[in-house]
Amino acid sequence: MTAVRPPLRHRLLLRAYPAAWRRRYGEELLALLADRDPGPRDLLDVLAGAVDARLHPGLGRTALRRVEAIPLPLPGTRSAAAFGIVAVTPPVGVLSRRTFMRRMLGVGTMLLGLEFLAGTLSFLWPNIREGLGAQFRVGRMADILAAQPSFATGRPYPYNPARVLLVNVPAAKAWAAGRETSVPDPSADELLALWRKCPHLGCLVPEPCESLSRITCRCHGSTYNILGEKLKLGPAERGLDRFAVRVEDDGTVVIDTSQIIRGAPNLGPDRLEFADAHPWDATCP
Amino acid sequence: MGASTSADLGRFAEPAMLVLVSLTDGPRHGYAIMTDVETFAGATIGPGTLYAVLARLEQAGFIEPMESDERRRPYRITESGRAAVAEQLDRMDRFVQVGRLRARQAAG
Repeated sequence: MTAVRPPLRHRLLLRAYPAAWRRRYGEELLALLADRDPGPRDLLDVLAGAVDARLHPGLGRTALRRVEAIPLPLPGTRSAAAFGIVAVTPPVGVLSRRTFMRRMLGVGTMLLGLEFLAGTLSFLWPNIREGLGAQFRVGRMADILAAQPSFATGRPYPYNPARVLLVNVPAAKAWAAGRETSVPDPSADELLALWRKCPHLGCLVPEPCESLSRITCRCHGSTYNILGEKLKLGPAERGLDRFAVRVEDDGTVVIDTSQIIRGAPNLGPDRLEFADAHPWDATCP
Repeated sequence: MGASTSADLGRFAEPAMLVLVSLTDGPRHGYAIMTDVETFAGATIGPGTLYAVLARLEQAGFIEPMESDERRRPYRITESGRAAVAEQLDRMDRFVQVGRLRARQAAG
């Protein structure tokens, strides 16, 4: 038998088929392609056939069993001899060099793919560690009191990383009303994290003045009481915005700057949640 | 070709019929089937489509492979294959009759 080695593009095309299918039909299809001298449309058709064979893996396999039942020399063995290839199939259970290389290539490709995927995902993941949107762990109440003992008697604690004034509500109310008190351990709902950004034009508001225990923005004079409620003077139309505050199980105060609570609109002196001892229109010097 | 088998063949039902009719004439290998179909039906079946059809027909038991000759393996039609062809031809016959009748009614 004088077999001509099939052209490379035919053999490459055949590689698109699953292995079981190739063992059964590969030889015949190569012979057919050699007879027909296929044009581009035929080659496309073969490619479509390969996709079909991969979608229906059962086809080649059952047919192979049927042909093997016929006592015939398997096509594959004959062609190898014809092409002068001295190759032996490794014993069952032993990895052939080709299979090994192919698997290594597959594993490498998969690893590369995973790396790309992981990189993309980690890039897309929200990863805010500082600035607006982050969770700020201020510390435990003992730490805050150590930094500023007057926090227990009502002076707000300025926590600059989050640009907030942390207000101890019951103590601050007493301080603003002119009473002496000490609340060393306020609960989470007795804490306010006032954002020190004036809702008028965004200036950093100062700490409250000692004389009135009110906050007056230095830019345009917007004045707020100790809970951040807008009072008479100044152009701002609502109170200071706040961030959500929570206390974790170990007592750490956490300010969540991703949750912003808008300040209440200014509805006049009768609608305040807290009225201090000073006149409605008094403002810090 | 039973109704269920036709459904199994899906978009390959038409080329499958051409292949079966070609094999009714006697065993042929792939290339011979292609040239035969081109001659008697004027239809071209691409090599990939042809082998997709052959694999399905073989699985359905309508054709069976014979000993290959110089790498070319001929196929022959089985009894159930013949029955399937006859059944499908009957169905097409009825289709042609109904179609002609309705065309005539519409015309006059």
